[in-house]
Amino acid sequence: MSVLIFLIPITLGLGLIGLGCFLWSLKSKQYEDLEGAANRILFDD
Amino acid sequence: MKKTCIHCGEEVKNINDNFCCNGCSAAYEIVGKFGFENYYKIREINSKERKIKPEEENLDITEFIIKKDDYFEVNLMVQGLHCAACIWLIEGILKRQENVILARINLSKKTLLLRWKKDVMLGNNLVSLINEIGYKLLPFDLEILEKEEKKYDNSILKALAVAGFGVGNIMLMSFSLWFVDVEKMGIETRNLLHFFSSLIALPIIIYAARPFFSSAYKSLRAGFPNMDLAIAIAIFLACVVSILETFRSAHHVYFDSAVMLIFFLLIGRYLDLRARKKAFAIATEFSLLAASFGRVEEDKKIRILPIKDLQKGMILLVAPGEKIAADGVVISGESEIDMSLINGEVIPKKIILGNEVFAGTINLSSAIRVRIIKASQDSLLSQIIALSENVESKKNHYIRIADRLAKFYLPAVHILAFATFLFWFKNGWEEALMNATAVLIITCPCALALAVPIVQTIAISNFIKKGILVKNGEALEKINEISTIVFDKTGSLTVGKPRLVRVVGVEDNEKEFYLHLAASMATHSKHPLSISLAKSYKGDLIDLKVKEYQGLGLEAVFEDEIVRLGRAQFCKAKAISRDNGNLLCFMKFKNKEIIFTFEDEIKSDSKQVIERLKVLDKRIILLSGDIKNNVEIVAKELGITEFYFEKNPLEKLQFLEELKNKNEKFMMVGDGLNDAPALTLADVSISFNNAVDISQNVADIVIQGQKLYPIIDLIKSAKKSIFLMKQNLLIALVYNLIAVPFAVMGLVVPLIAAIAMSSSSLLVLFNSLRMNRQ
Repeated sequence: MSVLIFLIPITLGLGLIGLGCFLWSLKSKQYEDLEGAANRILFDD
Repeated sequence: MKKTCIHCGEEVKNINDNFCCNGCSAAYEIVGKFGFENYYKIREINSKERKIKPEEENLDITEFIIKKDDYFEVNLMVQGLHCAACIWLIEGILKRQENVILARINLSKKTLLLRWKKDVMLGNNLVSLINEIGYKLLPFDLEILEKEEKKYDNSILKALAVAGFGVGNIMLMSFSLWFVDVEKMGIETRNLLHFFSSLIALPIIIYAARPFFSSAYKSLRAGFPNMDLAIAIAIFLACVVSILETFRSAHHVYFDSAVMLIFFLLIGRYLDLRARKKAFAIATEFSLLAASFGRVEEDKKIRILPIKDLQKGMILLVAPGEKIAADGVVISGESEIDMSLINGEVIPKKIILGNEVFAGTINLSSAIRVRIIKASQDSLLSQIIALSENVESKKNHYIRIADRLAKFYLPAVHILAFATFLFWFKNGWEEALMNATAVLIITCPCALALAVPIVQTIAISNFIKKGILVKNGEALEKINEISTIVFDKTGSLTVGKPRLVRVVGVEDNEKEFYLHLAASMATHSKHPLSISLAKSYKGDLIDLKVKEYQGLGLEAVFEDEIVRLGRAQFCKAKAISRDNGNLLCFMKFKNKEIIFTFEDEIKSDSKQVIERLKVLDKRIILLSGDIKNNVEIVAKELGITEFYFEKNPLEKLQFLEELKNKNEKFMMVGDGLNDAPALTLADVSISFNNAVDISQNVADIVIQGQKLYPIIDLIKSAKKSIFLMKQNLLIALVYNLIAVPFAVMGLVVPLIAAIAMSSSSLLVLFNSLRMNRQ
């Protein structure tokens, strides 16, 4: 079971990276205009 | 068949034309020049939005340009965004201009961020280019918007993300703790898992539970214990007990329950915030920014200043059709002023040199110059805003349904937990504390806290689709208790614009001809009666050369004869009598005297709505600033027996204060500046999206469009949502009643706590979704 001592921190580290990414995307205002983003995907250029 | 303009989609008068006006044809050329012809194929016109029709207007945005290191920036509100194609067109055209670095539209907020380099003056060209295509761009002060938006910041979403991370990772460990025997796992491993759980849980609780701790603290200080207090106590105790248990290397810890609790509760908070944020974004579009600047003459040059920078002594230029930006005295020009938003009078007031005009009123017929006599913060408008703010504190303190329940629920739960503690004390304080904590976790109002916000969120989103913006969730609960509805007249029960009702003076078969002639003349003027007259004739108009005499009327030559349309003395009419306070317009042609009679049109569904409200047993009061005669006519027509007239803003407020002192719960429906303080005082206030800004700001609910019927919708849906809220609360309570005995007996291990908590929350959620069923 001693492998847990490594595995748990690794799990947490990966989780934290995900959390960090989300918080970064929030901070860089990617959620400011969800309506616009949904429509923009349809533009050609 | 009707033919519509290629560009703006408005009906074209002459069947041979492709465009309704020169502006539209020029706009079509610009769109083609930059290669965006596809725009016309892919766009979808939304009838609720402003028409994509160019207006002749040269707006100077220089004052709003912000200089950054090596570029310039301006924030603009865009009016007339119908669909994605509009974004594509505007951004595309701007990006093709030289020196433009960034053009980005935010469709949710309907704003445009524009950045360019080199020349400041380029800003005005860019703005007028887009204006020429037919979208209206208005500069605004980013600071004001950001200040408003702070109320809806992302901190809840951040806390939710952090709590979500915590729940997921703690559950990984909890699963093995729940389902693997200690003998198999070994005590060391269990201690290790407990240790890691606490390592994740503690920082997360400290960060993500802040909203609850601060709300609990506030409620404690205010002396109104609320649900958040129970939540905070449960989380805190669960934490303390779990830390102790970890150190004691004991069986159970409740970190998972505590973090899950926070996670679920934050979901409820976030949903609630999101719905209100959306309503706010829609409301901002028309309230925050309309007419937020004035044109000022300085050394023969014209500057555009934000209203807050207008000072006493400045000379303000007001074009016809424009809102007056500050209180002042007319120093040149004569015109007529639409005061309806100030005092509810439909008849425009004539103003001449030396007359006083007020901020917020609309200049109708011709350009005037006004010397400002009060800085914007002292204007009548600001005084009324200040009055409204004063009233705010007099408002009834409303205790929401969940908090009312909390008043009984909290003491009961805490007494029960304490009793559990005493009961188990004989087995040692550790076990007693553990069981008492289990009681608190099981009874923690997780489902209770979700019961209200979920229903509220769904209800608010449904209302948005119907064009009803509920800015304040409390309003939904309060509507149910309303016994009296107070209506303003002009703009609320009536349209606030005159409508032609009679043509007198000629034979019936000639009426059509005279109306045709009058409409053809009237189309050349901006006077409200002219606009109404021009609208009442459907069909091609006669091409006439028309001369307008300010404040008197119109003159034209038709079949070599002079035609005059306007005031009685201008038309040399003999009949000068007023018809019941109605508006009259005279026409003189070939010795014939024709009288057009106008009335303030009652909204098409007013009568129906009033009748429905009477069926619902509501007391209906009409409270107007208009003169007796006009109010009487409307009251009679709609069957309202209780009506009051010639009330100024203060009198309206006093009237409502009396109502309030009699403990009546009332709803106020109004749109004018004179209604703003009354709207603030009312338990529930409703305004319209064409109302003055201040009324929209103070109102709990803003209705888009002219219809009154949404009020019935609101009352019906509010009833349903309260029913569902109560049902949800009942479900949550029953759940607790079943689970509590087990907790008191000391049988609730963390697994059971987790299952009970999540399943009751899910049940409440699914029950709330019934709100969507019609």
